[in-house]
Amino acid sequence: MSETIAASPPRTIAVLGNPNVGKTTLFNRLCGARHKTANFPGTTQEALVGRFDGATLIDLPGIYSLDLNLSESSICRAVLAGQLAPEGGSPRVPDTLVVVVDATNLLRNLTLVAEALRLRLPTVVVVNIIDAARRRGIHADTQRLSEVLGCPVLAVSARSGENTDRLPDLIARAKVPDRSPPEGRDAVEAWAEETYAFVAAAREGATPDTLTDRLDRAFTHPVMGVITFVAVMTGLFWVIFALAAYPMDWIDRLFAGLGGLVESTLPAGAIRDLLSEGVVAGIGGTVIFLPQICLLFLLISLLEGTGYLARAAFVIDRLMRPFGLSGHSFVPLLSSHACALPGIMACRAVPDKRDRLATILVAPFMSCTARIPVYVLLTTLLFPGRPAMQALAFTGCYVIGAAAGLLSALVARRSILRGKSRPMALELPSYRVPDFVQALRMTADRGWVFLRKAGTVIVGISIVLWWLNAYPHASSLPEAESLRAQAAQVEPSDPSASEALRSEADTLDARHAASSSFLGRIGDAVQPVFGPMGADRQLTVGILASFAAREVFVATMAVQVAGTDDTEDAGVQQALASATRDDGTPLFTPATSWALLVYYILAMQCLPTLVVTAREAGGWRWAALQMAWMSGMAYCCAVAVYQIIRAMGHA
Amino acid sequence: MTSLATKPDASAEIKRASIPLTQLTRGCRGRISEANLDADDRAVLRAMGLKPSASIEVCRAGQPCIVALSGICGGGCRIGLSKDLASRVMVDPDD
Repeated sequence: MSETIAASPPRTIAVLGNPNVGKTTLFNRLCGARHKTANFPGTTQEALVGRFDGATLIDLPGIYSLDLNLSESSICRAVLAGQLAPEGGSPRVPDTLVVVVDATNLLRNLTLVAEALRLRLPTVVVVNIIDAARRRGIHADTQRLSEVLGCPVLAVSARSGENTDRLPDLIARAKVPDRSPPEGRDAVEAWAEETYAFVAAAREGATPDTLTDRLDRAFTHPVMGVITFVAVMTGLFWVIFALAAYPMDWIDRLFAGLGGLVESTLPAGAIRDLLSEGVVAGIGGTVIFLPQICLLFLLISLLEGTGYLARAAFVIDRLMRPFGLSGHSFVPLLSSHACALPGIMACRAVPDKRDRLATILVAPFMSCTARIPVYVLLTTLLFPGRPAMQALAFTGCYVIGAAAGLLSALVARRSILRGKSRPMALELPSYRVPDFVQALRMTADRGWVFLRKAGTVIVGISIVLWWLNAYPHASSLPEAESLRAQAAQVEPSDPSASEALRSEADTLDARHAASSSFLGRIGDAVQPVFGPMGADRQLTVGILASFAAREVFVATMAVQVAGTDDTEDAGVQQALASATRDDGTPLFTPATSWALLVYYILAMQCLPTLVVTAREAGGWRWAALQMAWMSGMAYCCAVAVYQIIRAMGHA
Repeated sequence: MTSLATKPDASAEIKRASIPLTQLTRGCRGRISEANLDADDRAVLRAMGLKPSASIEVCRAGQPCIVALSGICGGGCRIGLSKDLASRVMVDPDD
């Protein structure tokens, strides 16, 4: 975005309008792909920022009035007063104000125009959606409107591109309006009615919109609406859960291949290990989230474009209210069952600030796909050979996670996020065929934001964790060396026995390396912390190593007890089931397994989520709170479970 | 909220008591008289177009209540309200 280094700061053009007036489509017409999303500092509210004709174009949040006591209204007020700018820019009173209004709903839109004109900024008014207005027999006289408002007016259809070629000229003609609408809500409304009567005409009375009526009734129907909702959400969930698995698998293989390539081309040593196991694996571990993030945003964007989501919000709102959340929180929470990252990023669609923060905070409680390997391991250990009980326990994990999340939301809304919810009134936009290009743009944008902002931090911390796990390099144990010597001796006579001896030696070395690494030593030091929930040194290392990502727990345990991270291997699973502690007692007792299961359902064991929470909620304090809350609750519950089961005599 | 008495056409008729929006059935028309909400919430509804004396038509009664707002010259929009919210919005039904 830095094509020219201007001597004076670039001009700023702010785009203001009601929600659903096609502001963003218009913005895209003006800036094309040259835009980015930026948060307003310290808020969860975002704006599109783009380049147009050497000026910075800011797409403000959609609002109904500048005077409301809502976060988006106060942000618009601050930007227009030159007190606030999106991240990366310095606050500056906009040089031009573009007010976008909906031709099919001109009367209400005019009240915001009146407020905008009173700011005395160089202004233009764009009457958008004239194609739909024409179809509905509504005519707006832009010539007359321009006279009444005292600033240039242009009627366009941003969607079809009608008249949009005249926008640059219009914006260049912006001027401080030479008329001033009255002040005060009653006077503004009267002025709007008068202006509307003067400029607008309809061929006939408003035609009843029977199709929209019928669709509305079906989508919000107590039975039909719920069925439609469940079907749509199942489809959404299936796509991010099942369909995303294919690209994720390709990415996984690609990065495994890249790692292998690095290993085979570079000479053995610290740099090779850093590149193959630290950098490549770290980047791979970040990029792997992209398919779910992109697919979710593509689908949400398309669904939103159809107008269905506004209706769906009402269907689910009643269920979410008792927990202090709104209907808008549902899609983020559902998506979090696939992965909390896209779920938290989807919280941008939650209009109320407190609802949004509460949803972001509790989204990681939902059982994501990364927990599945841990659930599988522990439920198998708890109920060996009893698939029905395993399935029941597995389902229980999902229920406990969701319940803990909803209750936490309630607690948050009653304490730190106390305040009343905004009234559940939503404008229901007209049903439309979604704009695929815009959906793709938004998807690309979200994916890019994730890679740029979250990806870099995640890769950095992954490398640190890898280093803690891999260093210092332990030298081979004498026992392992003597096994290898034996192997070399028996090789000619019995190759398979030799092979077994070698792998036994490798296992010994791997176990030794795991316990003598920095992470192993840290595990030793903090074991007393996890002791009350039944964890020994090895389990503590597993818990610590999986702080970056939960699924790492299974591989780390496999490395520690079997010396390999091939967790698909039946022998390894057997080794895990029969693994022992340093004192010879079983590693996974029922009490320990239950405690660990509870711990993994509730604990914040996902580094990328913390990074994304900090970004989306507008500060690291939210990520710290999320971490403390979730892991604190997980720890207390796990300790309670372990101690209760032990007290019942099932140690 | 402005009182109905200032409206010229209302003085000509025999004024009927306002009823909650939830008591209107589908297809009924009326005018908003007041909203029994706190100042902030009332301002939000008003900015959305549910202002005193605005004409509305009920497109769906119940949960949610969907009303169509129409301008004098056609056009308008649809607003969905939770049942709880709709029960606090008072309207004067048209005949």
